[in-house]
Amino acid sequence: MSNITDFSKHKTFLIDTTKCTGCRGCQVACKQWNQLGAEKTTFFSGEGYQNPPAMSEHTFTRIKFKDYQKNGQNEFAFYKEMCMHCNEPACASVCPVGAFVKTAEGPVIYNAGRCIGCRFCMIACPFGIPKYEWSKAFPLVKKCTGCYSRVKEGLQPACATTCPTAISYGSRTEMIAEAERRLKNRPKHYYPAIYGKEEAGGTSVIYLTHQPLNELGFKQVTLRPLPSYTWQALRLVPGIFLTVGGGLSLVSWFTHRKERIKREEAFKNSKVMSETAEPETKEETK
Amino acid sequence: MTAAARIIINEVKGYHNFLKFMIVLVLLAVLASAVRFIFGLGATTNMNDIYPWGLWISFDVVTAVPLAAGAFTLGAIVHCFHIKKLEPLVRPAIVTGFLGYSLVCIGLLLDLGQPHKGWHTLVYWNVHSPMFEVSMCVMAYTTVLFMEFLSPVCEKFGYHLPLRVLRWLEMPLVIAAAAISTLHQSSLGTFFLIAVDKLHNLWYNPLLPLQFWMSAIFTGMSIIILEATMVHRYLGQPDESELLEVLTKILPWVLGAYLAVKLAALAFLSHGPLFDRPALLVLFLVEVIVGLIIPMIMFMQESNREDSRMQLRGASLIIFGVVLNRFNVSMFGMIQADQVVYYPSIVESLVTIGIIAGHILFFVLLAKYFPIFEHHPETVDYSLPDHFHPLEEQVPDKGVEA
Repeated sequence: MSNITDFSKHKTFLIDTTKCTGCRGCQVACKQWNQLGAEKTTFFSGEGYQNPPAMSEHTFTRIKFKDYQKNGQNEFAFYKEMCMHCNEPACASVCPVGAFVKTAEGPVIYNAGRCIGCRFCMIACPFGIPKYEWSKAFPLVKKCTGCYSRVKEGLQPACATTCPTAISYGSRTEMIAEAERRLKNRPKHYYPAIYGKEEAGGTSVIYLTHQPLNELGFKQVTLRPLPSYTWQALRLVPGIFLTVGGGLSLVSWFTHRKERIKREEAFKNSKVMSETAEPETKEETK
Repeated sequence: MTAAARIIINEVKGYHNFLKFMIVLVLLAVLASAVRFIFGLGATTNMNDIYPWGLWISFDVVTAVPLAAGAFTLGAIVHCFHIKKLEPLVRPAIVTGFLGYSLVCIGLLLDLGQPHKGWHTLVYWNVHSPMFEVSMCVMAYTTVLFMEFLSPVCEKFGYHLPLRVLRWLEMPLVIAAAAISTLHQSSLGTFFLIAVDKLHNLWYNPLLPLQFWMSAIFTGMSIIILEATMVHRYLGQPDESELLEVLTKILPWVLGAYLAVKLAALAFLSHGPLFDRPALLVLFLVEVIVGLIIPMIMFMQESNREDSRMQLRGASLIIFGVVLNRFNVSMFGMIQADQVVYYPSIVESLVTIGIIAGHILFFVLLAKYFPIFEHHPETVDYSLPDHFHPLEEQVPDKGVEA
């Protein structure tokens, strides 16, 4: 977990899907930079025209195709699927060994050396991003690195560098300001929302679209940072431990004390009984 | 063939056929786990990126942990609340708990992608992770149960000094057991608090950890009833139904409190639609009615509480309800409306069946070779030394009135 609270300077992707031409140069650049293997695919094997059919250990980003009709004409809308690099990532909060880190630059990165392979990150991620090396006997998790290796050297991520039209890359404040400017200038051109501005507590990837978000396949997620959902219970752990431990110790002390006193009384009584009984027996023997 | 091997083989040959069958199931599971490590998780299980957690997490971990809760529940009832007549049930419960947790650890290691790095949780702490919390607690509690389990082992071999140390440690261990169990039983519920847009509203609410803890308590008691009844029926041990009656008297209260919390959380704390998925609604209703309301009403009647057969039936219903609840939370409730349905592969099923069989097998074997039932608590003083009220004279331990 990171303790970053100011996200305004984090490097952020602004992906304007209305400007995307569906060239998939980003997919190619991603595979090249991250040295990811090819996948055997068949056309129409997934939800639509896109290939590969799903994100996987070999595919960190993907352009999804959505066909719709405009003025009686068939049109395509595109949506770039990738890690959202949340401000407060669920994957980083649930990882038992802290293998995920939200870097000061913005990307959420994964430390394979620490990972024990429990796959909790896959359960936790609201966007379904971390993927597993199911083909291996000792698998690790794979996901978009935000090209941290490039970003920390002052370069832009591979996909952003390649993209001819749709991806802008800069500080979060700048990108949100740019998105708002576009929304204001061409209100009819855009669906009036910036996906990622507040989703999951805010992300380092934000989207502008023409279609309503749910029609394009954007997941409707909570606006609250996800780690807060588990932390509200986990923060009670030390208190509960002390309460239960202390409470039971006290209860045991009282019950055991009661028992001991009872036994002691019984012992005293039996002594008194035997003392009073003794003279009588002596008299009898006399 | 060495003499030792021959002795072992002769010994095994003398076992009941049921035990031999259990041995076969365990061996099959060992084989299946070897297959898992050779061919990998993807090839041998039906888990995938849509179902990162399958049968192994849902049953071997999330369900098996409450099923092994008998030891801490009974320990607290007997030693802390001092209902001492239940003492004969404690040691079998500890054995059940110890076996249960050891098998949880094995199941977890099989499920991990990098089991050889499991020790990383001890080094790289992330206190924000419920998984970190649970793994630390499970390791600590398995150690506690192991130490409690050492008593019959030391008795068997006549080690007196460790026995005395263990006797001295007994109360601290019982209290540690209850405190640690409270934490990880509830934290298993915290796991699913992160799945805020995934787990269905019938189960998702912020009180999930509290519900997991409360249900662990009544499951622990039900498992003790089941285990004691089975041991009476099949291992020729004395009928303990009179002692179990004490548990059946406590059960309706815990079940009632749990039901109240569950319904209150459902009514006031859950967001979003509740009745939009008929299949999930049926699962929820079965869990609540069959696993909760029916056994609660059963145990509210004295005639049922006293009857050994009804005790077993009620306890079995409760256990069924809890198993269904854990599967609902960790698997069925997480399935989205348009998702393909997961079912476990042969390897996954064989391993889980082997784990259940292993539990039964090792319990019977331990009972056969170690003093699990021959332990006579009435000869032992379990009271704490009372420093605030010191005794002037040596008080004999027991039997003053006699």
